[in-house]
Amino acid sequence: MFAFILRRLGLLLPTFFGITLITFGLIRLIPGDPVEVMVGERTLDPQMHADAMHRLGLDKPLYLQYVDYLGNLASGNLGESLVTKESVWKEFATLFPATLELARMVMLFAAVFGLLAGVIAAIKRGSIFDHGVMGLALTGFSMPIFWWGLILIMFFSVKLGWTPVSGRLDLAFDIAPRTGFMLIDTWLAEAADPEINAGAFKDALMHLILPAIVLGTIPLAVIARMTRSSMLEVLREDYVRTARAKGLSPARVIFIHTLRNALIPVLTVMGLQVGTLMGGAVLTETIFSWPGIGKWLIDAISRRDYPVVQNGILMVATLVILVNFTVDILYGIANPRIRHAK
Amino acid sequence: MANVQASPATSAAEVALSYPSPLKEFWQGFSHNKGAVAGLIFMLAIAVSALLAPWLAPYSPIEQYRDAILTPPAWMEGGSSQFLFGTDELGRDLLSRLIHGARLSLLIGLTSVVMALVPGVILGLIAAFFPKVLGSLIMRLMDVMMALPALLLAVAIVAILGPGLVNTMIAIAIVALPAYVRLTRASAMTELNRDYVTASRVAGAGLIRLMFVCVLPNCMAPLIVHATMSFSSAILEAAALGFLGLGVQPPTPEWGTMLASARDYIERAWWVVSLPGLTILLSVLAINLMGDGLRDALDPKLKRAA
Amino acid sequence: MSLLQIKNLSVEFGSEKNPFRAVEGLDLTVDQGEIVGIVGESGSGKSVTMMAMMGLLEGQGRIVADKLEFDGKDLLTISARARRKIVGKDISMIFQDPMTALNPSFTVGYQIMEVLKLHQGLHGAALKQRALELMEMVEIPAAASRLAAYPHQLSGGMSQRVAIAMAIACNPKLLIADEPTTALDVTIQAQIMELLVSLQQSQNMALILITHDLAVVAEVAQRLAVMYAGQVAEMGKVPDIFRHPAHPYTEALLKSIPEHSKGAHRLSTLPGIVPGQYDRPSGCLLSPRCPYVQQRCRDERPELTPYPQGAVRCHFPLYDKESR
Repeated sequence: MFAFILRRLGLLLPTFFGITLITFGLIRLIPGDPVEVMVGERTLDPQMHADAMHRLGLDKPLYLQYVDYLGNLASGNLGESLVTKESVWKEFATLFPATLELARMVMLFAAVFGLLAGVIAAIKRGSIFDHGVMGLALTGFSMPIFWWGLILIMFFSVKLGWTPVSGRLDLAFDIAPRTGFMLIDTWLAEAADPEINAGAFKDALMHLILPAIVLGTIPLAVIARMTRSSMLEVLREDYVRTARAKGLSPARVIFIHTLRNALIPVLTVMGLQVGTLMGGAVLTETIFSWPGIGKWLIDAISRRDYPVVQNGILMVATLVILVNFTVDILYGIANPRIRHAK
Repeated sequence: MANVQASPATSAAEVALSYPSPLKEFWQGFSHNKGAVAGLIFMLAIAVSALLAPWLAPYSPIEQYRDAILTPPAWMEGGSSQFLFGTDELGRDLLSRLIHGARLSLLIGLTSVVMALVPGVILGLIAAFFPKVLGSLIMRLMDVMMALPALLLAVAIVAILGPGLVNTMIAIAIVALPAYVRLTRASAMTELNRDYVTASRVAGAGLIRLMFVCVLPNCMAPLIVHATMSFSSAILEAAALGFLGLGVQPPTPEWGTMLASARDYIERAWWVVSLPGLTILLSVLAINLMGDGLRDALDPKLKRAA
Repeated sequence: MSLLQIKNLSVEFGSEKNPFRAVEGLDLTVDQGEIVGIVGESGSGKSVTMMAMMGLLEGQGRIVADKLEFDGKDLLTISARARRKIVGKDISMIFQDPMTALNPSFTVGYQIMEVLKLHQGLHGAALKQRALELMEMVEIPAAASRLAAYPHQLSGGMSQRVAIAMAIACNPKLLIADEPTTALDVTIQAQIMELLVSLQQSQNMALILITHDLAVVAEVAQRLAVMYAGQVAEMGKVPDIFRHPAHPYTEALLKSIPEHSKGAHRLSTLPGIVPGQYDRPSGCLLSPRCPYVQQRCRDERPELTPYPQGAVRCHFPLYDKESR
């Protein structure tokens, strides 16, 4: 098992360096140079421009600039935002919990309902339930989620007034960020001071529901479809027949002998959904003004805040490969044949 | 040698006599799936309206009728038979814009699929034929691209290239590339182990012939299915970029761009918000239905699983 | 009283309107401690019969029978829950391909212990002890370390031994072996057969051996049922049938064994294939392939008719030379 993890880790490093190359190159490909961006509309005399270039190390040869870049990364320096002058790492660290809270909710929602729907559809293959669930899943899979978000807002927020339109919490509440997860923070705040903060938790939850549904639609659909087809494939295997010939209960045959094997491809798909999720977060956070890293990156792009774009993307990509690495390891645990492969 | 070559030809003719032609067999498999047929019909209708847009659309997509701003659809109170689906915030006919938008979506979809498919297949074949150095180099690069979330990568590319129709297509094609490379490489690797490839090698077939004549046709089934799926995701991504203001720029009637400007009227004019999105959803759904049908018809292994 | 009694069993697949009868009017009895062979070509309904009896066709096939009794219990009316108390315990089955019959995600030990836990309520050290005992009974070397092995780490023969260990775990009264050696190497085949027979004797269980290999049946079985296209063509004691087959199909099968055709220049074969769903003849199902076919065979389906040495489904059985 240890050797298996090491092998996977060996594949991880080149990918990471590849990503640093891309994020490094990204900035150099953009027309205009960062100094012009920093000063914005004002004109700048050539001497000051050259000084600024020198100060930022932009006058060195490219490969030296890349070495500098890697050196900075290694020392944890991700640069600072041109707009806010805050360190990129700090901004990322403040905003990331919002995205993580959303993503975690979404994965929970998508995994639970997707697995359940997929398993039942596979068992009741050909039934109305099966056709209904698969029709819905394909629709969800085809959903333009930015539009889906608008429709939900139109219906639940504007028409029915059930859910708030945007943000993470009503402005009336003043909750000190402790964990960065609004659900936990409001819970703690309500517990500490029930008078002032009454209803904060519920408010935070209501803010979370629509974005979670919007962002969860595609992963839910993908997981349901994958679970169903994987279950159907495994149900035909000889070893499932063996399990039934042992006199095991249907529940045990399905949840232990079938699902265990059917989960292996589903797990891979779930890992791949993390990428989809980060892309979807850009749209969802934009629609719901959710203060997470998706919205942060889009705002940075429109403000041409290049250090944020560059290292924000690096952080997101690193996150994605780390999650996929974890999934690989889980995959190895779930599938002894992979684990023992040389 | 001449005799050897003659015999497959005759046996092929015999086979054609006793079995349905591949095309007919394919159609039998495809038409068995009712959803796929419905999707095909819908997409044919969209394609026809895209091709004949200037003649089918009642108005120009960018002409503004200032006295008819935000007219509801014809069947609603206050609607007018003049504008079947109503008008938008600048008094433009929504139906005409949707019809013209179909042109853009199909164009973006088709172009970006081709722009990803061709280099993707070539890189995939190279990676399969030279697995040692070149292959692993290509695959590592694809891993890197895969690590970046698709939409984020597209957004970043557009941020560099600047918004617009052509750059949207390029960005979407680049994002779609790694999947084609991986798929081609995987299916080519399986085929490379088959005896018929060894046989052609022994017969002295050159590299190019081996790649494109011998191996590639046998990798087509998954590629076709994937191309369909990436066509639909191209439409979705183009619309998403348009919605973020990074895609095709107004006043061009791109479906996603239309939604971006409609956001502000969410409380007053539901049709401006609903109709473009519904069109996107239905088109993408139709293509995905076709994709499922194609998979049933082309991939016998998956057919049994469905 | 017989251990297993099947009377007039039919199994249908497909839609109600357009059914396909995989098994038709099958009669079979198995006594305690005997070995019965069921022989027939692929698709003749051998496995389906056994799977129907064990309730493994759940939701796929429709099962009709006059009688389906095991050990005094009526399997037709029994609840699914009560059936699961018998299946895997008193009746168990081993399958053709050992490489796919074991779940790849669990260790061999887990899969054996699962049965013991379920049917015998064993746990802890006793459970592990019994699993080890079973592994040794099926002659798996280094049994203790193999308990922790995954199926993909075992050879085909080893896997089949594990499957056998699983099947005999609860001392079943009836073991059904569905082509247990077909997927194995020739050298292993004999070992597995030997193991099965010795276990059958030491455990005193009944064994139904499904195979298409008459030579194996000749060696080990006491009685034999020959199946053709979902029906029993002939039934009787092994020595009788081998000496004087009463059914033309049995005769053809015997002639196709190399050992039985000494002197002949070519092995005899029966032309044609088992009729499928849509090309069943209206008369005797063998009539298109039968070398002795007559007009009556084409018009009228024969019934399974008893005669002193057994039963045969033929209008003109081979012992009745005058009628030809």
